[in-house]
Amino acid sequence: MARPAVILVGADKGGVGKTTVARTLIDYFGAHQTPTRAFDTEWPRGTLKRFHPDLTEVVDVTSVSDQMKIFDTLGSAEAKVTVIDVRAGLLSSTLQALTDIGFLESAKKGQITFAVFHILGPSIASLEEIAETARVMGDANYFLVKNFINNTTFFEWDPATYNSYFKRIKGAEEITIPKLNEMAYEQVEVASVPFVSFVGNKGAKGEAANYSFVLRGYVRHWLGNVWGEFDRVKLVDLVAPKMESNVRQAAG
Amino acid sequence: MSLRSSITIVASPRPRVGKTLLARLLADFHLQQNRSVATFDLNTGDRTLAQFLPEKTKVATVRDINGQMALFDRLIADEDTTKVVDLGHDSFEPFFSVTHQIGFVEEARRRSVAVAILFIVTPDHTSIEAYRSLRARFARAALAPVHNEILGPAQHRDKYPLVGGGPGIVRLPMLAPGLRRYIDTPPFSFADSNTGGAVDIPLAAHVELQRWLRRIYLEFRELDLRILLADLQASIRLNS
Repeated sequence: MARPAVILVGADKGGVGKTTVARTLIDYFGAHQTPTRAFDTEWPRGTLKRFHPDLTEVVDVTSVSDQMKIFDTLGSAEAKVTVIDVRAGLLSSTLQALTDIGFLESAKKGQITFAVFHILGPSIASLEEIAETARVMGDANYFLVKNFINNTTFFEWDPATYNSYFKRIKGAEEITIPKLNEMAYEQVEVASVPFVSFVGNKGAKGEAANYSFVLRGYVRHWLGNVWGEFDRVKLVDLVAPKMESNVRQAAG
Repeated sequence: MSLRSSITIVASPRPRVGKTLLARLLADFHLQQNRSVATFDLNTGDRTLAQFLPEKTKVATVRDINGQMALFDRLIADEDTTKVVDLGHDSFEPFFSVTHQIGFVEEARRRSVAVAILFIVTPDHTSIEAYRSLRARFARAALAPVHNEILGPAQHRDKYPLVGGGPGIVRLPMLAPGLRRYIDTPPFSFADSNTGGAVDIPLAAHVELQRWLRRIYLEFRELDLRILLADLQASIRLNS
């Protein structure tokens, strides 16, 4: 039987694009026909849910009963991959809570696959977050994500400083999310559909839409680059090693 | 798949090589064939397409996202209208960069619209490289080198290799110098001149002009046929 996988997508700062990254992950697993469910911790309204309403549940990650909803169902859920979009500022405490409930132990024992996508902000303060996270991570799969999507400017920290933090976490991998044209990004937001649906010119209920061909092209090109990064770090092999994946050419 | 229409982009990274003239001739050729035509002008300066064909021409830009949307969304829509784009030399790279990124040629083909690029050849290194780059990036477009004979003899033909199975070189013969002033003053439409349009031209000049136009239209018909043939061959390959 397939081993459940949990992917935490988080940042200790708001506005760095973690929900965007969570959306690209959900679309990626969808394209690989890997059943996925998502938990949106932006209680009560949620930020991820409006894009993937059928797969996503909004939860209050500080409540024990909601924690049980997530973690007690890992083995029994139909979807073997669980993506958790962790609210800004809650990444470290969530990881600590996971340590406390023995979750990271289970991961270490190989009963669960666990990965963290840590979305970095451009400011120098975000580097400290890596050190914080490293403390609790242990052997879990760690991905440092540089999100350029809405930051046209450089990252403040110099490569040497960055490397010193990066190397503290064993097996850490770096992922770069490139820039997407602002208007294209905005239109997807307004449409409230998954990236894949926008590219396919479909509305929220799968009905034919009328999005700009140019904007769809930009999103398709961008999503292809993002998925290329996921391919490069062999993400599918990590979360669903026994499944045959037929990648639908959703990213064009 | 039978082609519903075509989008032809007249291009060169060099200025003043005859792009606007070629675009005008193409537009009028299609009008003569009773096709619905829309032209797009990405040029700056005087004596632009917009001045010669004011009713049919949309002035466009690829400099910003709104301009790109206004141009490409319009180009991809309305599959039964034949389109001609006069691509100004300083919009060459931005235009083809967007075209490549958004998968424009593939989408057009999906909608049964052929994309042709008429590249006016010149001996300079920039143009040779630009042609090579287009050939590499746009395998599914019909790329045809154009020899504008007023620019001189075609000594550099080997630098512009033909795309296998695609159209051959298109020749734009030189018009007698005395006749140029008639056609170079906007608004002048070749299609109108056939039906004895507004401009007063002496009979001899008119006859010479018509002879020139016939040679050119023959080249265009040949181009049309080659594009059709290449498309048929591609369909056969796909379906076999």
